[in-house]
Amino acid sequence: MKTTKLKQLVIATVVGAQFTRAALAAEAAATGTNGTAVADIPAFAADAGSAGEAAEIKALQQQVEALVQKVNALEQQHAPTEQTATIQNLDQQVRILQRQREIDQDAAVAKAATAPKVTLGANGFSFSSADTNFVTQIHGVIQLDSRTFFHDNDAKGVDGFLLRRARPILSGTVFHDFDYNFTPDFGGSTVQIPDAYMTYRYAPEFQVQVGKFKSPIGLEHLQSDRDISFNERSLATDLVPNRDLGVLLKGDLAGGAASYAAGVLNGASDYNGTTTNTYSQNDPSFVGRVFFTPWKNSDVNALRGLGFGVGGSYEIDNPNTNSATGLTPGYTTDGQQKFFTYNKGVFANGQHWRVSPQADYYYGPFGLLGEYVLTGQHVSNGNKNTEVNNNAWEISGSWLLTGEDASYGAITPKHNFDPRLGYWGAWQVVARFAELNVDSDVFTSGLANPNANADGAQAWAVGLNWFLNKNIRANLSFSHTVFNGYTGSKPPAGTLVVPAQDENVLFTRVQLAF
Amino acid sequence: MKTIGIIILTALLVASVNAREIKLLNVSYDPTRELYTEYNAAFAKYWKAKTGDDVTISQSHGGSGKQAQSVINGLEADVVTLALAYDIDAIAKQARLLPADWLKRLPNDSTPYTSTIVFLVRKGNPKGIRDWDDIVKKGISVVVPNPKTSGGARWAYLAAYAYALEKNNHDDAAARAFITKLYKNVPVLDSGARGSTVTFAKNGIGDVLLAWENEAHLALKEFGADNFEIVTPSLSILAEPPVAVVSKNAKNHHTTEIANEYLKYLYSDEGQEIAARNFYRPRNEAVAAKYAANFSPVKLVTIDQEFGGWAKAQKTYFADGGVFDQIYQP
Repeated sequence: MKTTKLKQLVIATVVGAQFTRAALAAEAAATGTNGTAVADIPAFAADAGSAGEAAEIKALQQQVEALVQKVNALEQQHAPTEQTATIQNLDQQVRILQRQREIDQDAAVAKAATAPKVTLGANGFSFSSADTNFVTQIHGVIQLDSRTFFHDNDAKGVDGFLLRRARPILSGTVFHDFDYNFTPDFGGSTVQIPDAYMTYRYAPEFQVQVGKFKSPIGLEHLQSDRDISFNERSLATDLVPNRDLGVLLKGDLAGGAASYAAGVLNGASDYNGTTTNTYSQNDPSFVGRVFFTPWKNSDVNALRGLGFGVGGSYEIDNPNTNSATGLTPGYTTDGQQKFFTYNKGVFANGQHWRVSPQADYYYGPFGLLGEYVLTGQHVSNGNKNTEVNNNAWEISGSWLLTGEDASYGAITPKHNFDPRLGYWGAWQVVARFAELNVDSDVFTSGLANPNANADGAQAWAVGLNWFLNKNIRANLSFSHTVFNGYTGSKPPAGTLVVPAQDENVLFTRVQLAF
Repeated sequence: MKTIGIIILTALLVASVNAREIKLLNVSYDPTRELYTEYNAAFAKYWKAKTGDDVTISQSHGGSGKQAQSVINGLEADVVTLALAYDIDAIAKQARLLPADWLKRLPNDSTPYTSTIVFLVRKGNPKGIRDWDDIVKKGISVVVPNPKTSGGARWAYLAAYAYALEKNNHDDAAARAFITKLYKNVPVLDSGARGSTVTFAKNGIGDVLLAWENEAHLALKEFGADNFEIVTPSLSILAEPPVAVVSKNAKNHHTTEIANEYLKYLYSDEGQEIAARNFYRPRNEAVAAKYAANFSPVKLVTIDQEFGGWAKAQKTYFADGGVFDQIYQP
């Protein structure tokens, strides 16, 4: 800009000088004065007639051209400096913007890394801190069942729909190593709290659990309610406790190839404890279980799904309340009808032990689960103390028709149900046989009434399970149970269903689990 | 059954104790990467010779304030080696992971080495930057990290403020005007000292970098002494980066003994030599004399003398709504 002005100034000065000189020359010619002076002043060629003037004009023109060249040279010298400064300035601005963008991106990444995470999917709702030290999860299980009994002498009130389980499950972690689980159940006729416990995870091999939870004995019983093959567990599970309260030490060893659990609990009678939130006797129960899956991490595919172990318990039953007998409230059929209860006034009194060898096997779509339970319990009617030895066993098999892998846990369909795409989910056929034998001494010792109870039952069941997706499942199954040892007469219609006659029941279930 | 359970438990505990590897996590600030890389190797060798045990030391680096917050939020540091005492104080107060008197647990207020703030300029010093007055001139582009997140930036801020106070007979309004002019010349704020070094040296932004003394020397080594030169101002601040065992974490990890030894070894001749080689001013006078050529003489003021300690300085200048928030407009 400065050089341009300078150039204009030079040109204007030179041109101005020409006009000035021409004007002075014209004025001198007109007045006739100062002729010498006029001759000294150069003028435009058009106005001057002499050769000298022309030469002078030419000299001036050359002078102007020289000045213009100098100005141009100056312009050329100054122009690059300005451009360079401008370019450098722009370059800095671009670099600053680029760097600011990098910093903003880093800040965004850092912020995302420290922001709490919310996830919602097939595994439920989860809200966790960025470092996962704090996690809250919401799961749920809803099971709507129907039971239809056949050839039941028109006994009333047993056919129909029921909300078998309706459990919101609140679980999570605090301070990285402490887990918790709180599970109320709004299904059935009363609200219960099946699970309420905390677990400290020092290491996978060493975990301590306190609260109310499943007693670690029966294999089928320990399987999640959402994953069991049939609507109801088998007769074998009648002989193991359900929930119990206490302290449990547990862990997985050798990368999960073995697991153990050992605990001191209140003690619960056979398949009982769901509604119990307090204690009923002075002496604790010692429970334990070891389970091995030695090929779990091996390359031997055919053996990877083989597991076996044993669970058991030992306690001294000493119920200290009149209402708590320490005895089972009743052994039940698949249709949840009682076929054996002790007489009123009979109570547990002394040692009570259980042993349950167990195994399962899963290979491809095929699954097999079996267990045996043997128990001994000292029972008294006030006059005589008798050790009652009961036993039960079951074996169940499953086959996934659609080729998915069978599992002790949840089944994941290869293709979720979507008829628009021609996908129908996963289909599984299941079959089971189970037997429970009550010690015949219960009748001879006056502990139970053979005219109202059976001392044995055998049940077979078949079913078809449909997994629409990981969350929705539908079951259809039929169960047939026969009884031993009942000596009573066949009751009139509408009074007693079992064990006076066989039980035939058709189950359906629609389940939502997430 | 009870006996079996106890036997299993005991076996597991014994097995887990024997199988445990000794691991330490040192959560540090941005420019100490090279220092602790060298020091960790030396300490591991020392510890192996002393006890026969192998120790693996992991390092975590970032802006000092951010690192402290990470520890508060659960990053399980066994030791912290941060840029300033305030950040370790925050861990002690907010998370109660170490005792309030942590500063007195090691010599020299738990500061085994010191540093200061210098200028890094481009080769030939084209803008003629010699002292603090030069960097507040119009048209000078200054690179410095964010004092909200960087310990080094807080030291730099206070060094400039101290210079302005000294120059203006401790007129705080004049010092505040000075610092305002300085930050008007800052085009971009990184979160940590290493980020600012990258901004200046690698991205080619700015005329001067306000840097830790060791970071400036490192930049010469890494980015070329033919590209940059260090200018030591007439006055700067004595930066005292402290170290401490995060006692609760160390106790949980069963590393209390080795964590203490790890920090104490910083005061050993070898530890001091390593610090000096990495351009930290050693506390050991003999080592300091040996490496005197690495450190230009400069008048140093302390935060206690000039600003009444870290707690007051933090509250006045760097807390939300403090002087920095008032004078800096991004």
